[in-house]
Amino acid sequence: MELIEKLTVLADAAKYDASCASSGAPKRSSKGKDGIGSTNGMGICHSYTPDGRCVSLLKILLTNFCLYDCQYCINRRSSDVPRARFTPEEVVTLTLDFYQRNYVSGLFLSSGIIQSPDYTMEQLIRVAKVLREEHQFRGYIHLKTIPEADPALIAEAGRYADRLSVNIELPSAESLVRLAPEKELISITGAMGTIDSASQESRFDKRAPAFAPGGQSTQMIVGADASDDSRILRTAETLYGQYRLRRVYYSAFSPIPNSPSSVPFQAPPLMREHRLYQADFLLRGYGFKVNELIGAQGNLPLDIDPKLAWALANRDLFPVDLNLAEPQVIARIPGIGVRSAQRIVDLRRLKRIRFDDVVRLRCVIEKAKPFMITSDYHPQQASLESSVLRRQLSDQPAQMALWG
Amino acid sequence: MQVLCCDDDFERWRAQARHLLMQQVAPHAVVWADQAQPQLFANAPNADEQPAIVPALPPPRVSAQLLGELETAAQYRTPGRWNLLYRVLWRVVEGERHAGLAGDEDGSELQRRIKAVRREAHHLHAFVRFHPLTDHPWLDYVAWHECAHDVLASASMHFAERLGRQRWLIVSSRDAVWYDGHELHYRRTCPGEWASLAARARDSGDPLWETYYSSIFNPARLNPEVMQGHMPLRFWAGLPEGHLIAGLISRARTGAQKHGQTEALAGKSGKVIRSLQQHSTANRKAP
Repeated sequence: MELIEKLTVLADAAKYDASCASSGAPKRSSKGKDGIGSTNGMGICHSYTPDGRCVSLLKILLTNFCLYDCQYCINRRSSDVPRARFTPEEVVTLTLDFYQRNYVSGLFLSSGIIQSPDYTMEQLIRVAKVLREEHQFRGYIHLKTIPEADPALIAEAGRYADRLSVNIELPSAESLVRLAPEKELISITGAMGTIDSASQESRFDKRAPAFAPGGQSTQMIVGADASDDSRILRTAETLYGQYRLRRVYYSAFSPIPNSPSSVPFQAPPLMREHRLYQADFLLRGYGFKVNELIGAQGNLPLDIDPKLAWALANRDLFPVDLNLAEPQVIARIPGIGVRSAQRIVDLRRLKRIRFDDVVRLRCVIEKAKPFMITSDYHPQQASLESSVLRRQLSDQPAQMALWG
Repeated sequence: MQVLCCDDDFERWRAQARHLLMQQVAPHAVVWADQAQPQLFANAPNADEQPAIVPALPPPRVSAQLLGELETAAQYRTPGRWNLLYRVLWRVVEGERHAGLAGDEDGSELQRRIKAVRREAHHLHAFVRFHPLTDHPWLDYVAWHECAHDVLASASMHFAERLGRQRWLIVSSRDAVWYDGHELHYRRTCPGEWASLAARARDSGDPLWETYYSSIFNPARLNPEVMQGHMPLRFWAGLPEGHLIAGLISRARTGAQKHGQTEALAGKSGKVIRSLQQHSTANRKAP
């Protein structure tokens, strides 16, 4: 099979993994050195596809031959898709070529399970090792970790990769049993634990070799089973807490050709995925707990963002005086982010905060207005009922479904 | 009214501004002329060399941070760009420390320009497309890229970190930058020879990259507005994938794209892996 045909098959097979981040790596430079590649911790999106997704890494599978039969996956063994397999050398050449032309900042390599989990993991490691050792490649490498692989192989992968990820796949153990019969929650979390302890070790022992300095991430598929947002966010919160994950990615289940009857035929609204990312951001960046954002059951509202929903449910905490409140409290006002909150605090050391100052900081003023006080402004809407306010502030009815 | 010209050169503007501050010249009494906005009554283009009128103050001191911000904001292309910078500088020296902050009227504009310049540098790092040259005596890669602001000189060293000792050239319709493997050479006006090198490489496509781009796109999640928000239309012409976008969008919209598979694979015969034994046979047959 020609290289270009393999690329068609194995890029198509890789698109269902949402992550394409090239952030979190330590600073590396090739200036004046042999080899190529640099990272600066920030990550670069080199292109965007018409689905609005960033192209930051060459994201491909080594092969889409697979022994497993995960129902939500296009590459499951019972799926009638064209199959292909790259040699490790082909992936190395493609990565270096794409990198030098400035199409990508590195490689995100995953694979179907062939022969055995250990064999598959060895193949993935081989690509990273050749890139790093034979070509002195200093760009970003993200390796998908096969959960059932030997921990020694996971430890080896971490020496070459900036980021490792093990997909949790589904929000509950029961769904995993039903939809991914060959996978087990215990091996997935076991691999996460292996990665976490190896990375802690290398962090605390300066003589130890670096281990996946960009940390680990995972992906959860939304809408392939009946789990609600509460379940999804609670699973995420547990993973963040137990394994120090950098990111949990939420991937709205995407209908696949010849879909089995065990998974839905329709995708969940993309807005649901968006609201989960917003809630996740509040967990990671704003100090929110899942319990503040959602009840024991149910989904996040689609018409308003989770911070606004929280504020509407906690009207007794508002309005907040921007001239007096702590920055963490200001950042909890809808429409005002962590950075704007910091800018407000910087500015008020020099002068009293006025309404126009907030406008100039480019906060989402319509959202913030009912919840804030400045030296020249007190919200009239403060006395409005939450339900009325919600109607005023809800997002315009947008295209929520993919087709309909 | 003094009329000055700094030829869009930050160091020159800085020397002029310093001189003006020592002379206590207020912002309303001075204006910088530039090519985009020539001053109607420009009477003394060399005003910076005029003799001092009032007894000079000692040289003003400002923080390195403010100086850095002014230098970044100076790369923002707009008529009369230097006047705002002097006003901010003047106000800070006069004790209005918030004049450079986003909450201030001038500071807000300054910060907006800084943000736009940083974004443009990021666009440079993201959307430059290098074309390899074979057997060229002083060059390995060449690119054509149009920046909306003057970031080519300040932001290009990024590529030396990426590409090690390789030699590359980035050309625009105004300026150009060449890295010879050791040092960066900036030209305010792009030499004709460089421009023709870049022009020749400009239209060469790359089938592998175009294949990857089409294949990684998920038509079931079509969302062109988000794409365009991140990747403004003005860059598309410079991207090998640019000419594919319209087709991918319209086929995803009009075709029956109810799932995410790339159209190149639709209708191709597949391979079900029926059992473990059969699988290992299939595996051995795989290339």
